[in-house]
Amino acid sequence: MPIIEVENLRKDFMIAKRETGMMGALRSLVKREYTKKEAVKDISFSIEKGEIIGYIGPNGAGKSTTIKMLTGILVPSDGKVLVNGIVPYENRQKNAKNIGVVFGQRTQLWWDLPTIESFELLKEIYQVSNERYKKNMDTFTEVLGLNEFLNTPVRQLSLGQRMRADIAASLLHDPPILFLDEPTIGLDVVAKEKMRTFIKEINQDRQITVILTTHDMEDIEKLCERMVLIDHGTKMYDGEIALVKERFGKTRTLIVDLEESKQRPPLTGGEIFKEEGSRFWIKFNRDEVSASDLIAQITKTHNIKDLTVEEPEIESIISKIYQEGFQDLPDTVKV
Amino acid sequence: MHQYRMYWAFTRKAFLRSAVYRFDVWSRLGSNLIFLLMWGSIWTALYAGREEAGGVSFEAMLTYIVVSQFLSGINGAGTPLWEIQEKVRTGDIAIELMRPFNVPLRYLFADFGSVAFYIITALLPLYIVLFIFMDLTVPASWLTWVYFIAAAFNGFLIRYCIEMAFGLLSFFLVETGGIEDIFYFAMSLLSGSVIPLWFFPDWLEKIAVYLPFQGIYYIPNAIFIGEIFGGEILFSIGIQLFWVIACFFLLRFVWNRASHKVIVQGG
Ligand SMILES: Nc1ncnc2c1ncn2[C@@H]1O[C@H](COP(=O)(O)OP(=O)(O)OP(=O)(O)O)[C@@H](O)[C@H]1O
Ligand SMILES: [Mg+2]
Repeated sequence: MPIIEVENLRKDFMIAKRETGMMGALRSLVKREYTKKEAVKDISFSIEKGEIIGYIGPNGAGKSTTIKMLTGILVPSDGKVLVNGIVPYENRQKNAKNIGVVFGQRTQLWWDLPTIESFELLKEIYQVSNERYKKNMDTFTEVLGLNEFLNTPVRQLSLGQRMRADIAASLLHDPPILFLDEPTIGLDVVAKEKMRTFIKEINQDRQITVILTTHDMEDIEKLCERMVLIDHGTKMYDGEIALVKERFGKTRTLIVDLEESKQRPPLTGGEIFKEEGSRFWIKFNRDEVSASDLIAQITKTHNIKDLTVEEPEIESIISKIYQEGFQDLPDTVKV
Repeated sequence: MHQYRMYWAFTRKAFLRSAVYRFDVWSRLGSNLIFLLMWGSIWTALYAGREEAGGVSFEAMLTYIVVSQFLSGINGAGTPLWEIQEKVRTGDIAIELMRPFNVPLRYLFADFGSVAFYIITALLPLYIVLFIFMDLTVPASWLTWVYFIAAAFNGFLIRYCIEMAFGLLSFFLVETGGIEDIFYFAMSLLSGSVIPLWFFPDWLEKIAVYLPFQGIYYIPNAIFIGEIFGGEILFSIGIQLFWVIACFFLLRFVWNRASHKVIVQGG
């Protein structure tokens, strides 16, 4: 039984045309003109308990809109959503108890309360027992280093501190499901790394199901085995990340430093796309030629001082997909 | 019962939070006092040295104004309406919709906290001093005090529901334009906050009596100065209770419509 099921989900926004002045306001009471914006067109997926899903796509793809429908604060225009057996928008408050949510872009804590008081309030709101509360707070304080700012009002927290507070807050009531909409946005490298470790840990220790949206492919690479890629409100890919890498990551780069650079080394199967003094960047397709093959070819005419082989990062693979689409995606992977 | 613990938590937090914004308390108290002086002098001028007008003594009229300003202090101490409208406009309200509580109720209980703080630290001290140094009417019987407090509380609930319901109309209007000004003018006039209903022309008094606004200022004020007395007191409080319930349902209706609109249209 999947814990989250989404079927042919659609969301159209009706954007009201603005009317000005008092007459306009009155007129708009009676009749208003709208333009339609299809934010999510047709998305289906299902997620099993304990999975971490990377939900990615370019700006405006419809990620946040999907998350909002899963939390119940947006009603779908069409399609089916089930979260832990509950239809979120029909039963918002009950759904709320099953989910933890972090919107990286805006905090859910009370702006002018000291952080600890936000937690105390959430304890009452979600009716967390004293025991549970203490236990969770102890864990989060330790792992996320909350105590350095527990008495600071939320509005004075740095972005990284706020994000840590937000994720702790979202987990106080032990929800089985966690929605993270850009939880690493604006964090520095160390903070990002800590956040990732934390997410990984709570997923493993508590079997929490996580849906994660992000623009940082390192998040995806480090945390998720599966990703759902959407664009313009439709699903483009759903499957293992390893598989995408496999299909799209055939291109490797061989970088060599040669002793004498008088002439370019002759090559078959590889292509020099950049050179700087005696250093050459050679692009090749792993299926057609191997790195050792190329090296052997070069050593026939030149002496190699140093060399490295670079694999493409998931980052560049994804950006290629965003730019060029899925046209050359083999049918086995295309959804 | 658990539910009530949760809402009380909002009351407690709002109380503590008010303590942080002490300057706010003082500036509000300052403007309250200025309005009191203004209305006090206007009514002094209108009485023009007469002992009574329309069957009401000058002393009672002055008391009416003082009590009215006291109540207006209470009614203005909660979460400002624009803050909620702003949350609606920016979509931040969505976060509240995602929580397992009733949003209008949560704001009401939070208001209890900030109002309690304001009463204890600012309003009561000021008005006790005023009552000591001015010639004002004070209810002789303790029962009148109880009725007054009950009526003032009902008035607070009525005002809260009406103002919140009106504020939520901003969901439906792209621009509220001048409607807001008209609403606030009507509310301040028809509630009898600055002119008691007995000075209204007949036709206007008839209108005011059938509207909920009189429950906010006129009824508690008139009970205080003894203009409403005897069996009429319970009758008036009964009318207030009717309006509390009616306005509560009005608020609930508007809130449901408004939140539905948010979850359909997005923040
Ligand atoms: N409340 C709304 N009213 C109208 N249009 C909206 C609303 N919310 C989102 N949209 C539009 O729907 C589309 C999808 O938005 P969404 O926020 O889901 O994108 P996203 O994938 O989260 O993008 P990003 O990576 O930039 O956060 C966008 O074109 C956006 O302009
Ligand atoms: Mg987004």
